[in-house]
Amino acid sequence: MNKKKQPGQQKSDADLKRRGAKIGDQLRRIYEDVAKEEVPDEFLKLLEEADKKKSSKPSTSDE
Amino acid sequence: MTDDRTTLDDATFKQELTALIPHLRAFARSLCRDASLADDLAQDAMLKAWNARESFVAGTNMKAWAFTILRNAFYSEKRRSWRRQPLDPEVAEATLVSNSNPADALELLALRNALTLLPVDQKEALILVGAGGMAYEEAAEICGCAVGTIKSRVSRARKAVIEILESNSTGYNSDSGMSAEKAFDDIMMQADEIARAPTS
Repeated sequence: MNKKKQPGQQKSDADLKRRGAKIGDQLRRIYEDVAKEEVPDEFLKLLEEADKKKSSKPSTSDE
Repeated sequence: MTDDRTTLDDATFKQELTALIPHLRAFARSLCRDASLADDLAQDAMLKAWNARESFVAGTNMKAWAFTILRNAFYSEKRRSWRRQPLDPEVAEATLVSNSNPADALELLALRNALTLLPVDQKEALILVGAGGMAYEEAAEICGCAVGTIKSRVSRARKAVIEILESNSTGYNSDSGMSAEKAFDDIMMQADEIARAPTS
């Protein structure tokens, strides 16, 4: 009931900005942690397969 | 280097798309926290992009183009399971394990949780600009809205996240924010500059 107001604790613009800044840094980490991971083979395999599929058209028989 | 065609040849397209896979994965993971669903989504987007390669105009922004495809897939009716996922325990664990500082890791988890509480339009704006480092203009292109709309969504999202984190009082008060502040301001300033530059 008798909490004293602490002058340093009020939500100033600077404070808000600083918290926002920290969140910005952490958001980038969430993204970059994944972006830096090695791409799973499955992705490359799927893309290769899609590429092959397109080049093996039924009409072309050059093999 | 100039030729008549506005599409890339398949080999070039494939090479550039391959280079984007890490970003597709990161965007997907930010949108849906379940890691395997996120990779499903990223793979789906990659294949859709490949199949739509003839509609990609050479010289335009392939990242924004591919992100638009991923976003559309995310919102498509059929795949609602991609949305509204509870926190994946494996992601939580990986986040904890990959961080040498447990307090940092907890804060990252708190932030991931806070993101899920945002309206989805605010969340994606914050992810694209704040996490992915995209210009407001690129984000606007991806989301199909005005640059000003993206700006206000990012701003509202930041405020909402701060409020959510504070109301959870998970000790989000550590004092290491100063360099981060610079980093964030840099992102926002850069984005502002790009967004302000005349485009046409």
